[in-house]
Amino acid sequence: MIITPEKLKKWLDNDKNFTLLDTRPKNQIKQYPIKELKCIFGPPDSIDQIKGDKVLVCQFGIVTEGMILENDLQNSYSLLGGVQAWNEFIKDKNDLSRWSRQTILEEIGIDGQKKIMKARVAIVGMGGLGCPAATSLVAAGIGTLNIIDGDTVDLSNLHRQHLYQPEDIGKEKVSVAKRSLENISSQTKINPFNNFLNQSNAKSCFEDIDIIIDATDNIVSRQIIDKVSKDKNLPMVYGSLYKFEGQVGVFNTESKIGYAELFPGNISGGKTCEEAGVIGMLPSIIGNMQALEAIKLILNLEPNLIGKLLIYDGLQHTTEVIEL
Amino acid sequence: MITIRLKCFSQVKYALGENEIIFELENGVFTEDLEKIVRKKAKGKLDDVTLSTAVNKKYISKNTELKDGDEVAFIPPVQGG
Repeated sequence: MIITPEKLKKWLDNDKNFTLLDTRPKNQIKQYPIKELKCIFGPPDSIDQIKGDKVLVCQFGIVTEGMILENDLQNSYSLLGGVQAWNEFIKDKNDLSRWSRQTILEEIGIDGQKKIMKARVAIVGMGGLGCPAATSLVAAGIGTLNIIDGDTVDLSNLHRQHLYQPEDIGKEKVSVAKRSLENISSQTKINPFNNFLNQSNAKSCFEDIDIIIDATDNIVSRQIIDKVSKDKNLPMVYGSLYKFEGQVGVFNTESKIGYAELFPGNISGGKTCEEAGVIGMLPSIIGNMQALEAIKLILNLEPNLIGKLLIYDGLQHTTEVIEL
Repeated sequence: MITIRLKCFSQVKYALGENEIIFELENGVFTEDLEKIVRKKAKGKLDDVTLSTAVNKKYISKNTELKDGDEVAFIPPVQGG
């Protein structure tokens, strides 16, 4: 069983009777002291002898979860996110334990999680790419998400657009998506725009936004996003699909080229998803790659796909990265 | 003669029916020459598709002379999302 920092604080405030055990090595306890919490030093072999409810503490909440499972410890709770999440909760009254599996990553940590929670992302197109990208960003704790699409849910969407259910057919995609995303997490502020992107509404869709995710299904929309991305100096995370194959890239940032330079002039891409078809799993792969690149932009993580075009082939499971 | 490896993606792959094709070409061939050869080989299936060009995994915006051993990719602006 697990207990969040917020719930543990309630136990303490309510004078609940339980024992707190710090299972970390003594040198780690000294290096990273736990704030405002009196624990007894609890080496694993002594835990089972303690009667009543126990809360086990380690650095990130992973060791103690394993300890409880492996030793079949009864009446024992692992503090989710461990000392890292508890200390942050005490400092800012902000329970980040939900994201403990990513804050444990040295590339993210508590500071990175806070950046993610302040970041503002717009997703244009809530179809095959937009659904997984939005899902992953909301689950990751993104601060604000503008979702832009004027379409309604269709039966043929359901094999790849998992925010929608059969009963949603005929409803506005952004309204249904907002509800589904809020069920994943209420942490993210979701702003639905029930319109297709065009030259005149683009600026309002991207107001106070840090990153644009291009999850559209046509060249004209991509060209509009590219232009606004350049005008407003916002990175464009491009994604597109064809049958078993997808493309991902990050355009218009760090002096790298954009869509209009990669595909200049009056271009034609032949068939769309509707005409060419797409395997249902592919949008989840490519949409999640776009979400990952957005997170890397927020955290300034390298290597990334800035100035690159990644082509993924789902049949061969091969990737090709083209320098732009 | 030079040997060029063409890597095929998206519409190019489906038009030619191959993931990769080796071409033996005369010296002095440029990327646009190879694109014409590819389009002819596709028998009209690429007529409505714009192609961007990469040589040795690097995008190029200008017609470029190919060297022996170069790897070329013609990349279409895929639309689906």
